[in-house]
Amino acid sequence: MSVAEAEAKELRLEQPSSLGRDALERFRHNKAALVGVAVILLLVLVAIFAPLIAPYGPRQQVGALDSSDPEGPSSEHLMGLDEQGRDEFSRVVYGARLSLLVGLVSVTFGLTFGLILGALAGYFGGWIDTAIMRVMDIMLSIPGLLLAIGLVTLLGRGLIQIMCAVGITTIPIFARLLRGAILAQRESDYVLAARSVGVPGGRLLMIHILPNALAPVIVQATLAMATAIIDVAGLSFLGLGPADPGFPEWGKMLADNASRLERAAHLVIFPGAAVVISVLGLNLIGDGLRESIDPKLRS
Amino acid sequence: MLNYALRRVILTIPILLGLSIIVFAFVRALPGGPAIALLGERGTEEQEEQIEEELGLDQPVYVQYGRYMSNVLSGDLGTSTRTRQPIVEELKLKFPATFELSIAAMFFAILIGVPLGFVAAKRYQGVLDNTSLVLSLIGISFPVFFLALLLKYIFSIKMGLLPTIGRLDITRSLEHPTNFYVLDSIIAGDTAALGDSLRHLVLPAVALGTIPLAIVARITRAAVLDVTSEDYVRTARAKGLDPRVIDRRHVLKNALLPVITIIGLQTGLLLTGAILTETVFAWPGVGSWMLEAIRFRDYAVLQGGILFFAVLIVFVNLLVDLSYAFLNPRIRYQ
Repeated sequence: MSVAEAEAKELRLEQPSSLGRDALERFRHNKAALVGVAVILLLVLVAIFAPLIAPYGPRQQVGALDSSDPEGPSSEHLMGLDEQGRDEFSRVVYGARLSLLVGLVSVTFGLTFGLILGALAGYFGGWIDTAIMRVMDIMLSIPGLLLAIGLVTLLGRGLIQIMCAVGITTIPIFARLLRGAILAQRESDYVLAARSVGVPGGRLLMIHILPNALAPVIVQATLAMATAIIDVAGLSFLGLGPADPGFPEWGKMLADNASRLERAAHLVIFPGAAVVISVLGLNLIGDGLRESIDPKLRS
Repeated sequence: MLNYALRRVILTIPILLGLSIIVFAFVRALPGGPAIALLGERGTEEQEEQIEEELGLDQPVYVQYGRYMSNVLSGDLGTSTRTRQPIVEELKLKFPATFELSIAAMFFAILIGVPLGFVAAKRYQGVLDNTSLVLSLIGISFPVFFLALLLKYIFSIKMGLLPTIGRLDITRSLEHPTNFYVLDSIIAGDTAALGDSLRHLVLPAVALGTIPLAIVARITRAAVLDVTSEDYVRTARAKGLDPRVIDRRHVLKNALLPVITIIGLQTGLLLTGAILTETVFAWPGVGSWMLEAIRFRDYAVLQGGILFFAVLIVFVNLLVDLSYAFLNPRIRYQ
């Protein structure tokens, strides 16, 4: 081993710890967060391989069409049959696709618009800031589900409309978050340094400020996805979901059978449990991320 | 304090204005225009014209908005197209039901959440602490309507302990001077009715209060942990003060500040949760009223309901901020 090689090795050993690496390290030791990751990974796999896992199609009628007394769970039908004689297990499995899609799309929608508005407000300040943030305040003063109800009434029933409606309700959260982060970063030394060497405004925002404000945004996005899944199920439960009666959406499946609770509780419990498990998974990840990026916990 | 209060009150004015514009625009943006939206599909052309004239749709938008605002400010939220009743009158009937339910839910959340959070913080990282953390995380992950259905299934259908729907047994007659049934039965001196209305209140209140309970417990725990490491607590301990007195006078009193804020901020959650809970338990409050309005396309009710809820939340937030400033002098001088 040459001297240079030995030195290089030592240098590698002395790699400085960064906030990101520290956070990852803490996250890896957070058992609850890892459980959350496992749950969501499982859910993603179920969603991807739904046709392989589900013994029947989500709309396939396999048993007696019996709306008054649907068949309960058995070895043949793990979660029983629904009122239309469809295999409930298959429907719950296919439902994972919808819930994940809905969570992902609506949060991406809200995140995109929220970040743009937050960046505009935080970066330009002045009347642009005032105008944007007042609108955000107004949106925040209407409870999310209520705003979504109003929006669905406007946009019409349907999966895309629901995702937009729920997405819109998350815009103010992200806008506020990013604006706050930008205001905090704007005065920091490294931004001042970048500005003094003549980095143009847009580049300053994209390359220097945004990445440093991203951690809380990711945490919020995870938690917002959990809320989005609950809200979409809630809208479906209120009868504002997709009009298609065969649609395997957990909230809708639950709502369709709420009146049969006495005789067919399995049709309420299984889709409901599926919602709880996926939301819990996302909340565990979100909490874990929040704890791991908290600089106060940095050792 | 006065200065801060004044500034905070003035800040709500643009929010209220914006809200009124959004709600005003809401009905106008509905497909088919406001006349058809307000009349429903069964309206005749004559009625349509009449409504358009009533609404002054031939006039410029700002004149329409001005008229709408002057109506709202004089306490006229319009008329339900389904029942032909003034919306304000219906609201007076329905809101006490939702309010009673929300108060009961909040009682449940605070009475259990605050002690739970306090004890969890005292046993930091102990079994009880970890258990309550896990439970509160599960609590937050439950959709309120699913929890409501589960409670109904277990305690009403399976065990037959509590009634499944409504606010009072239908065979019972009770005068309703306030429409708060618990209060009404106390006024009437009817203990049987009081027991009955309380029994009807239990499940919806628990369902609606569980998520706030989880949040209150978490915040209380965090706040107590924060305060416990403060210098004044150490000083109190060093001078040999009774630990119970320290807990009560120094820890809890200061830790409750953020808890009060959180309780106030739950109002929005409670009101939307009420829409779902009321649906499950056929609770005749604002929530099920608005849901019915959606089903029957009664947009006037929906418009009035959304405005009412939103204004309520703006005022609760204002109250929270003011009480916070009152309790915490540091806020006032910022």
